[in-house]
Amino acid sequence: MTKRREIGFTLIRGFLAILIALLVATLLIFISAEGDGIGEKMEAAGEALKQLLIGPLFRMGKNGTSFELKRLADVFAAMIPTIFTGLSVCVMFSANQFNLGSEGGSMLGAFVAGMIAVYVPMAAGIHPVVAVLAAGVAVAVVMLIPAVLKAKMGVSEMVNSLMLNYIIMYIIKYLMSTHLADKSKGQIQSFPFMETAKIGPIVDNSVFTGAKLTWGFVVALIAVVIVAVFMYRTRWGYSIRMIGINQSFSMYSGMKVGAVVVLSQVLGGFLAGVGGGIEMLGRYPTFSWSALPGYGWTGITIAILAGNNPLYVPLAAFFMAYLSKGCDLMATYAGVPAQLIDIIQGVIFLFFAAEQFMARYRQKLVVKTAQEELQRKNAQSLEEGGAVNV
Amino acid sequence: MPEEKLAGEGEYVVQMKGINKVYPNGVAANQNVDFFLKKGEIHALMGENGAGKSTLMKMLFGLEQPTSGEIIVNGERLNITSPAVAIEHEIGMVHQHFMLVPSLSVAENMVLGMVPKKSGIFIDKVRAIEITREYSEKYNLHVEPEARVADIPVGMKQKVEILKALVRGAKILILDEPTAVLTTQETVELFKEMKSLKEQGYTIVFISHKLNEIMEITDRLTILRGGRSMGVYNTKDVTKEQISRLMVGRDVILEIQKDKAKPSDVVLRVRDLEFTNSMNRKMLDNVSFDVRKGEILGIAGVEGNGQKELVDILFNFQRPNGGSAAVNGENILGVSQEKIREMGVSLVPEDRMIYGIASTASIEENLISDRCGAKRLNKGPVFNMGAIHSESDRLIEEFTVLCKSRRQQVGMLSGGNIQKVVVAREFSNNPALIIADQPTRGIDVGATEFIRKKLLELSRSGIAVLLISADLNEVMELSDSLIVMHNGHIAAYFEDTADLTDAEMGEYMLGLKHQSPEEIGRVCHD
Repeated sequence: MTKRREIGFTLIRGFLAILIALLVATLLIFISAEGDGIGEKMEAAGEALKQLLIGPLFRMGKNGTSFELKRLADVFAAMIPTIFTGLSVCVMFSANQFNLGSEGGSMLGAFVAGMIAVYVPMAAGIHPVVAVLAAGVAVAVVMLIPAVLKAKMGVSEMVNSLMLNYIIMYIIKYLMSTHLADKSKGQIQSFPFMETAKIGPIVDNSVFTGAKLTWGFVVALIAVVIVAVFMYRTRWGYSIRMIGINQSFSMYSGMKVGAVVVLSQVLGGFLAGVGGGIEMLGRYPTFSWSALPGYGWTGITIAILAGNNPLYVPLAAFFMAYLSKGCDLMATYAGVPAQLIDIIQGVIFLFFAAEQFMARYRQKLVVKTAQEELQRKNAQSLEEGGAVNV
Repeated sequence: MPEEKLAGEGEYVVQMKGINKVYPNGVAANQNVDFFLKKGEIHALMGENGAGKSTLMKMLFGLEQPTSGEIIVNGERLNITSPAVAIEHEIGMVHQHFMLVPSLSVAENMVLGMVPKKSGIFIDKVRAIEITREYSEKYNLHVEPEARVADIPVGMKQKVEILKALVRGAKILILDEPTAVLTTQETVELFKEMKSLKEQGYTIVFISHKLNEIMEITDRLTILRGGRSMGVYNTKDVTKEQISRLMVGRDVILEIQKDKAKPSDVVLRVRDLEFTNSMNRKMLDNVSFDVRKGEILGIAGVEGNGQKELVDILFNFQRPNGGSAAVNGENILGVSQEKIREMGVSLVPEDRMIYGIASTASIEENLISDRCGAKRLNKGPVFNMGAIHSESDRLIEEFTVLCKSRRQQVGMLSGGNIQKVVVAREFSNNPALIIADQPTRGIDVGATEFIRKKLLELSRSGIAVLLISADLNEVMELSDSLIVMHNGHIAAYFEDTADLTDAEMGEYMLGLKHQSPEEIGRVCHD
């Protein structure tokens, strides 16, 4: 297919997918909407849909609908950790390494950065930098466990990294409830972070501060570019991708397969750790997580949506953050039950990610393009001819 | 010369009219193709790789659906939506890659999907064996019903496949490159069986690009080129040269002109190589030879006589049990592929889809896989994209890879063009030794000719070439000197291939004759 047709198709498909998903969502919302009679229900459903679709950007009040920067900033802020986990998963999946450790990785990164923010005094400028880098390195080192076991002994990295998530979580929980706990507080949490360690907002006004849209967002976008360059413009990124496509071919070509398998997972760990660290120092005053944050799982979704291409990660992350914000608002303002939110989110995602959706229409376009090309070719080679007889 | 159209459509058992097929990836595999089968004939379907032969037959067997066109079988217009429909209308297909369950017995494979039952529940193995025997005798296709498919030779597997189609009532048999996997003797036997089936009124479509076989066995032939039919001919009316011109669109020089080799220093020195595989079978036994600069040393032999193991060991996919191998005096056994390549060893692998390419990557990415760390392609930590683009464009041009651009996925190319990508990479990194393992297997005449010429040219420029090929023509024509492997041994060494005959080679290949150790020892140039 020609490039223009391909892009056109992708746009139409994305648009239709969202439309259908919204129809299904509308039906579900309508069924569960409060109110007597169809009229009232319709009204409630309309209100809910509005929240889902434009709520993340606009405030709907008595005085009509007005754009609210704070809400957009909220969406952007929510993208910070998931861009990092998305990149992390991209790198690992590109090498065909199904390492699911980004989840525990982001928690460990947050923990390490938090502890440095509590216990290691440093100057204001370098404190968060050191803390976040240390978080990345710590997770990278932990990822050596599944990576080296895979490279040396062929142990499944998927099982290992999945279990590792829980090991990380419980070790952190243990440390937080014993040696590192601020016992003066009612809940399990660390001592407060030093002011020097905190990551500040990009612009110091109430909107950005309130939304916690910190410099982390800028760092995340820079990371996207660096990872994209690494994957598509360096020999290591190239090796990672080739090994992901065909490991035998890569070995035969003389690449260091084992080393690259380890590299991809260590790098993935580093990115997840950095993401967790930035999130912790940008958003929280103390470390108080007692469960896995979910950023790693979202990162997997994002990487799949982005087709493992780092450049699409911010788009996918935005989509997920927008969807989740819209659903939150719907639950808060339109009284849609929380359980339904997950279903709606799922339906939208399902249609969007379904590859076979509209495959027939695509095939028609492919045939059309091929035939046009043939006609051109035939016109050229008419004089060549050939004995076509039966 | 084209055959006149005969009146009366009744004589055709299959009529495929105006068939078009466009695949989801945009490849137009068939364009307005007509294909007519007469009852009781052996009809060859010929063409280069990617000409659309398999696609056409897949549509007849219901594995693919035509984009447009009609298929008429026994006068009935059909919409063949699946192989089940094809089988119902007495069409059977024997695939190039066998569709058998290796862990089951021959009889169990025979009745798969139509299993005779005891009391409606249990598989009636006795009956299955009876059925197999019955058909085996009726069609004179000898198989062992109780043997496990994994244990029987290739030739017998093929008979099982043919019987499978016959048991299901096939009257029209499609054989997709059936001789590609067979030895000469097995091929002879297959042809006998095909003739006997023909006499019993069966219609056979024979897909092949081996000209000799076509001339020997078929009645008529249809030639495809670039997805279009180049016409139908009576086999007896056309010559090999005419056919090959119709297939590739120009005259192909089937005989290679070569001047005498002037071999100098030894590049690859192999001594006393021993290897026993995991099934405890001795695959290499005391193998010693030298390959010198400027010569092509061929290794001939029926497949499975140690050639694959030899290549695997030389490229460190496998560790030997004993012996030594060195390139320019430096050991290569147990050394990483990276080091082996640094020593200047290139390999055209036997299985190009598994080792040769990363199929969803671009042509460019496939061309640089062995040299991605080279200084000239990198600027500090990042790639020098300009240098990479110009290097791949140069290789695409030099090796005449037919493609839209260097960004095209390599897996979308035809077999011959994929092999050209592999060869372009392997021949262009300044090698001291090229190991070419079945370099032209399953690819079209044009690409074959190109690759052979290139190999010859490189050897004359002072590169040592080790050529392993099951294609007798290829090894005998291309090699300067030749060894024959049988059962893990070197059975013979011929210093000059000029006056060797097929028959003589055959005797060594099948182990009927064996040279003395002194004669074989001459391959070591100490």
